[in-house]
Amino acid sequence: MLLEAMNLTKLFGGLTAVNNVTFQVERGKIVSVIGPNGAGKTTFFNLLTGIYKPEQGNITFAGRPLRNLRPDQIAKRGISRTFQNIRLFNNMTVLENVLVGMHPRLKIPLWQIILRTKAMLREERQARERAQELLAFVGLEAKHGNLAKNLPYGDQRRLEIARAMASRPKLLLLDEPTAGMNPQETTEATQLIQRLRAELGVTIVLIEHDMQLVMSISEQITVLDSGSKIAEGTAAEIRHNPRVIEAYLGQGSLPNDKPKQQFSSSNT
Amino acid sequence: MATWQKFLKSDPVAYFLVTAYALLTTTLLLRYPRTNLATDLIFVLFLGTILILHKSALAKSYKLLISSLILGLALPFFGTLNPFYIDVATFIGIFVVLALGLNVVVGFAGLLDLGYVAFYAVGAYLWAIFSTPQAGQIWPAWSSHFPLAPLWFFLFIPFALIVGAAMGVLLGLPVLRLRGDYLAIVTLGFGEVIRVLATNLDRPINITNGAQGIKSIGRPPLFFAPFFQALGWNLSESQLYQLYFYFLVLIMVGITLVVVRHLNDSRIGRAWTAIREDETAAIAMGVPLVKMKLLAFAVGASFASVMGMLFAAKQLFINPPTFDLIRSISILSMVILGGMGSIPGVILGATLVTLLNLQLLPRVAMELGQLNLPPYIDPTRYQRMIFGLLLILMTIFRSEGILPEDRRQKELHEK
Amino acid sequence: MNVNNISDSEASLARRTLGFTLQNIFKPILQIILFILCSILFLSFIVIFLALILRGSHTEIDLLNNVLVILPQVIIDGLVRGFLFATIALGYTMVYGVLEFINFAHGEIFMVGAFTGAGFASILNHFGFLKGFPAIPFLIISLLLGMFVSGSLALLTERIAYRRLRNAPRLVPLISALGVSLLLQDLMRMIVTATGLGFNTSYRTPDMGKPWQIAKFIIPDGRQAVMSIDSRSLNFIIAAMIMLIGLNYLVSATKLGKAIRAVAEDRHTASLMGVNVNQIISLTFLIGGALGGAAGVLFGIRVGTIDPYIGFLNGLKAFTAAVLGGIGNITGAMVGGILLGFLEAFVASYLSLFTNGEFAGANYADITAFSILILILIFRPAGLLGETVAQKV
Repeated sequence: MLLEAMNLTKLFGGLTAVNNVTFQVERGKIVSVIGPNGAGKTTFFNLLTGIYKPEQGNITFAGRPLRNLRPDQIAKRGISRTFQNIRLFNNMTVLENVLVGMHPRLKIPLWQIILRTKAMLREERQARERAQELLAFVGLEAKHGNLAKNLPYGDQRRLEIARAMASRPKLLLLDEPTAGMNPQETTEATQLIQRLRAELGVTIVLIEHDMQLVMSISEQITVLDSGSKIAEGTAAEIRHNPRVIEAYLGQGSLPNDKPKQQFSSSNT
Repeated sequence: MATWQKFLKSDPVAYFLVTAYALLTTTLLLRYPRTNLATDLIFVLFLGTILILHKSALAKSYKLLISSLILGLALPFFGTLNPFYIDVATFIGIFVVLALGLNVVVGFAGLLDLGYVAFYAVGAYLWAIFSTPQAGQIWPAWSSHFPLAPLWFFLFIPFALIVGAAMGVLLGLPVLRLRGDYLAIVTLGFGEVIRVLATNLDRPINITNGAQGIKSIGRPPLFFAPFFQALGWNLSESQLYQLYFYFLVLIMVGITLVVVRHLNDSRIGRAWTAIREDETAAIAMGVPLVKMKLLAFAVGASFASVMGMLFAAKQLFINPPTFDLIRSISILSMVILGGMGSIPGVILGATLVTLLNLQLLPRVAMELGQLNLPPYIDPTRYQRMIFGLLLILMTIFRSEGILPEDRRQKELHEK
Repeated sequence: MNVNNISDSEASLARRTLGFTLQNIFKPILQIILFILCSILFLSFIVIFLALILRGSHTEIDLLNNVLVILPQVIIDGLVRGFLFATIALGYTMVYGVLEFINFAHGEIFMVGAFTGAGFASILNHFGFLKGFPAIPFLIISLLLGMFVSGSLALLTERIAYRRLRNAPRLVPLISALGVSLLLQDLMRMIVTATGLGFNTSYRTPDMGKPWQIAKFIIPDGRQAVMSIDSRSLNFIIAAMIMLIGLNYLVSATKLGKAIRAVAEDRHTASLMGVNVNQIISLTFLIGGALGGAAGVLFGIRVGTIDPYIGFLNGLKAFTAAVLGGIGNITGAMVGGILLGFLEAFVASYLSLFTNGEFAGANYADITAFSILILILIFRPAGLLGETVAQKV
């Protein structure tokens, strides 16, 4: 197991955002977390990445507990993520965004930076080369000098993935990677996700509303509703699970039907 | 070889114009060295050469050559003819360093520090206390060791650097884990605390000599005076010190510039910008927020501390009002005016605001004074109003500053 | 903003009943009175305890009796300071609650209020009306004038210097507010020097009656410790109390208050629900500014001498009070203000007594506020009454 979250619970005041959720991810898998808006999916990601501290429960990653680690320390351990509502560094260039993602891997000490030693320049050059490779991987190599805020929407999503991959994570958390995309773009994103695993060997957990995508690429699907895990299994199992269908009633029917998105959920 | 080719390929007209401009302003300046309005203007045009060089697309080596001729030769020589302008230039240098330091905090990392001058005060008092008999009042048993010899000045520079950085970390630790706006208030308070302490710590132990301030502060040794005499340059002691401090400040400006640029073009600079842009995304990408913020704070504080030391030695006298809020504000105005995060912008901002403070306002006041206007119109007394207006107008109409940072340019210059 | 109970659907019905309204208004007032009494007892206990401990090291003076003889007056002093900070702190807290923005210029709004009062009194004096002017109408007219001028000024600054920066990075409106603060300081300085009031404006106000003696104690060495309050300070406290009750009523029991709370909770949703967000934000500035102006008028009348820079330090301390109580929380601002007032009064009066005059208390009283601010931010950043709110991701 790469990631094991045991009995996670997170409360906001009186609201139980995540309720006693146990969640496991095997190395090399693509796992989806689905559920209606407000089910606690993003909160769950925030727990895994250390942005929120759980009231209860433990998370073990690659055999070591993540208790009391700050988000940056967790990122350094190898969990990286993208955000539901794209959070790029808007006034930095595309290349710089990826370079920031590389931060945990850059080691050169302060004095070498101040003196700009050969070792520092070498590390910087290597980092830039690797960043360019990553940009090429997601198809943004030509736009490395653009400011992130000037990229079209689809490119911003891809840049977020490149940035998240820059720290060479073991586990990549994608929060609605195809939200707001047209079918063409969604297909491309799906291919990108599969290539990430195949070529870079990263384990992927994604939150997604597009059921076609979820059903086609996930080896395991976890369903959250009102903070609790209500089902877990393969695509076929989930498709016919009565509790899942019930949870989705009123929001659209399973499968192949995307829930309405105009009121984007604020899963906090 | 490569530079030469570039040099030859560039437009000769541009080289001719810039060289002519530099020669013209320098000649005019040396021709009319008396302090008056005309020389003020020529002086500004003369300094403008640097800006023109920065903006031009000429070869780097040429830019460097002309700048060093102007700052290293023409200006100091002019200083021997007229002490006022070299003093202004020295102050410009001091404020350039301070503004660059504050820019690390405000511009790079996006942390609003309103008590920046406190670190400047720390450095100034540090040297003032130890280079005068004041230190003997703190440790009466050792009073025979003080004041320290002038040579200690150079040893105190790294010491002031460390003390400043330590103060920055101490202040930053409790506050930097909180939201940015608290930092503004706490630093504002901290600035006041330092000033109040400086005013009141003459009891129970006399550390700062209270409101009277400390006078006869030690200066660095004039070790080169004999050489100058041997070369036949007969300069008075005050002229020597003036040039001395000018060059010390110039060296500091150079060092600061290099350090700040190196930091900015590294993982640390990128981490700062990322924090400024989006803290949550930055920390999720593995950027340690508190550590990076503390580093920004410490870097800014250490620059301020060292400059405080230089300032104290140059002025020979310091007292608590030297370090009041308005000085923090004026340094902030330099950063905002030039452009937060933009190194050339901040240098320009520091130059303009210092010229405004030391040349323009007194000059206007003098001219107005001849018109028999009521005394309350004296513009030198309305610094707060001027800086206030500057801050409001800049934030509303041009929040990126007059010389904004250009990120795309950064991409092009790759080693 | 967090005014005791933010409505849930059940409570909205009950809210309309008179009993609920009264409870909503007076509960915080009772809480504050209780809090004042507790603070007095606690701080008095501490200084007496310290006096007993330190008695041995101060053989030349009778420390305990010297502490006791000034204690009643220190308490009154603390109370007056406390109400001053509380009234100014409300302006910071309201604006912060709605916009999450520290309005640096609020201290200057307070200062302008003080000068409005001074101006009114000086004009009356100039035309010879001041002498016979009855105290209460004078107070009311000054207050209304001060509230009007400061409220409008706050409204104007929001409109000119803050509104268009609402979506800018957080740093930018802060800098603009700092600019407004500095501009107002010197603008006022220019006005007072030009009109001959002078930088230090001293002015006379109608006679407000004799000090009111509350209690008298006989301390162990036979001296009398008198607890009395002069009428200007008493006016200050009464007026501040009335305003606090009024504000509480406005925010917790009226439709307008509900709109303010809605905007504070979520600006975007509030606008979807038909609340005119710009109007509500303007209103917040107006109310906060008016309260600050009133505090300024009362402060000026009490101390009699003001200058254009009084807003800076008082504003800073009031902000500390707001943070101390939990920024964004109205009751918290009052509690924080009062606590800070007491602490300052005690430090100012007792520090030099306990240290044999080595540390001048009055000079270090100012530092107290910032030390408290830093301590609070380390140990309880949400303030005394604040809730830790999770950041939105």
